[in-house]
Amino acid sequence: MRATRFPGMSVVLLVFCALQPFDASALPAFARQTGQNCMACHAGGQFPELTPYGRLFKLTGYTLGERSAVPFSAMAVASDSHVQNTSKSDDSKADFQKNNSLIFATASAFAAGKITDNLGAFLQVTYDNYASQSDDGKFHGHTSADNMDIRYADRSIDEHRDIIFGVSANNNPSVADVWNSAPAWMQYVPVPSPTSSSFIDGNAPYPGYAAGGNLAGLTGYLFWNQQIYAEIGAYRSATGIAGFMSAGVADAEKIRLQGSNPYWRLAWNHGWGAHSLMFGTSGMNAKIFDDPLDTADASTVHRFRDIGFDAQYQYLLDPHTLTVQAAYMHDNHRYPAFLADQAASDAAGNPLPNTNARDHLDVFRAKATYVYAARYGASLGFFNQTGSTNSALYDSTRVYGNISANPAVRGLTSEIFWTPVQYARIGLQFTAYGKYNGATHNYDGAGRNASDNNSVFLYFWGAY
Amino acid sequence: MNVRMMVPLALGIAAAACSNLPRSRDLGNPEVSGATLARQVCSNCHGVTGDSISPNMPKLAAQQREYLSAQLRGFRSHSRRDPAGFEYMWGISRSLTDKQIEELADYYAAQTMARAVSPVSANERGHALFAAGAPDRGVPPCSSCHGDQGQGNGKFPRLAGQHADYLVKQLTVFQRTDERPEGAIMKVVAHALTRDDIEAAAAYLQDSR
Repeated sequence: MRATRFPGMSVVLLVFCALQPFDASALPAFARQTGQNCMACHAGGQFPELTPYGRLFKLTGYTLGERSAVPFSAMAVASDSHVQNTSKSDDSKADFQKNNSLIFATASAFAAGKITDNLGAFLQVTYDNYASQSDDGKFHGHTSADNMDIRYADRSIDEHRDIIFGVSANNNPSVADVWNSAPAWMQYVPVPSPTSSSFIDGNAPYPGYAAGGNLAGLTGYLFWNQQIYAEIGAYRSATGIAGFMSAGVADAEKIRLQGSNPYWRLAWNHGWGAHSLMFGTSGMNAKIFDDPLDTADASTVHRFRDIGFDAQYQYLLDPHTLTVQAAYMHDNHRYPAFLADQAASDAAGNPLPNTNARDHLDVFRAKATYVYAARYGASLGFFNQTGSTNSALYDSTRVYGNISANPAVRGLTSEIFWTPVQYARIGLQFTAYGKYNGATHNYDGAGRNASDNNSVFLYFWGAY
Repeated sequence: MNVRMMVPLALGIAAAACSNLPRSRDLGNPEVSGATLARQVCSNCHGVTGDSISPNMPKLAAQQREYLSAQLRGFRSHSRRDPAGFEYMWGISRSLTDKQIEELADYYAAQTMARAVSPVSANERGHALFAAGAPDRGVPPCSSCHGDQGQGNGKFPRLAGQHADYLVKQLTVFQRTDERPEGAIMKVVAHALTRDDIEAAAAYLQDSR
């Protein structure tokens, strides 16, 4: 691999070194509410993974602690991406924008915390500094709704039983979940949008629901004796009074669902000594309009059926934090009639098999992380996506194309990070591909190999 | 469900949920009883009967009420400033009233320590330190202050049944720092203990009941 260059890194380090530890009163919203360190709720201080205590804090509706007079927080990310090979491209400046450039990538604002004894919220909006690009090549920032979870919760607990139950109004299937192996939370963050970051881990396959986010959902949940967790609910398009859950998202980019779409989750949880273990399963059926701007014709609906299995193990004993997650999602996709069994051809005009009426996609992820003293961390992740070959996936575009028409992607991600104070983290991540868009070699038909997309990603994250 | 139904539903829930004293997790409301806080808040780490699962968090069941009260006051005033204290307990205790602290101390003192899962190990070194100390090094027996069964005595905490990891960490705090000034006497006691001594005594006490 070529030597990695990071212009501007010295500036980051200078800013970094100038940072003084925040005093105890300067805490993000939840920490202000409880008065505790971030590591009380986040395993080894790594976000967003929750400790057993953090899980209970969330399931009891963010209502533990004292209502904060200023329930707001913010976070921001600067990052620098480096793609291993930018030469196999017709226009590397367009294909790998901001490669090797330090950028102010994203920022989020949060309104979060206790509202009443039983009501609490977690509302996030995110600003993407590179959300769009005009014809003159300039980038334009944009703010839109991110994860949102408003919940009512109650708890009946005595020496004989512990029942936590509640209702969550949220905009992302599994965002109400409390284990890091759930689709909404099992992720390396952050994920900036310039194309130089197209191959960093955050853009590699993750088990997820086809319906995506920015929806409007209502789920009810129960956590019995901290052993069995069950959640069931339904999601609809975020329209009308629930429109705030997709605020800022362009109409053409919104997910439009037909009717109510069921979501369910079941998990078994057990803690012993410094260990905790969870095995879970979840699923969602979704009917998604092909064109979000045209929801009048029911025959244009894609039908997805997702079912997942996941597991999480945590060993938390100060100063050691070891966590392992594994998640698998199987997705069945039935196309609307007008897209199924259609004639297709390759770039040279040679016929390809007709497009599929149904596809399947399987995504597996596993990740192990060790953090020492909530300060020094390292992780290793593996991802593998396989699925049916479909001529509809055929794309001869250089770098981003797929001439095998197969969705397979496989790779490894490793990361080291340092959290010098609990509200700042610097991380260095490396993602290596064994397969990309269906092939190890020449996946785009122009000589680009999966390993050419190997990426190094440096980020600096801060929150207040 | 139609999304238009969500607003009245949410408003109804909010109206019904403004106050729920018997099951509140509000640490800033002096009206919430200590017993309620013990169940709704403290149980998250220490267990509903004070029998914590994780060794990161001390067991509080059958702990001496005077000791518990002093510790909560120490957290609240920040006089106790070991990592386990300020990371987890400063915030939790910051607005507790004296009455709530006494109620919390009563709650845990009244609990029963669960029986040992495993039989008492043949830990002669730990038992010797507990019962006889190490006179040649000026280390008094633990039992002289903490009771012949390690059950504690007033401001001297119960040690029997406590997580060994917690005991090791606290003995290290006493030995090497001044982060627990209320236990300054332990600095003298623990001064001559080796790491092996500490681990042996802690293992013995964890298995005691």
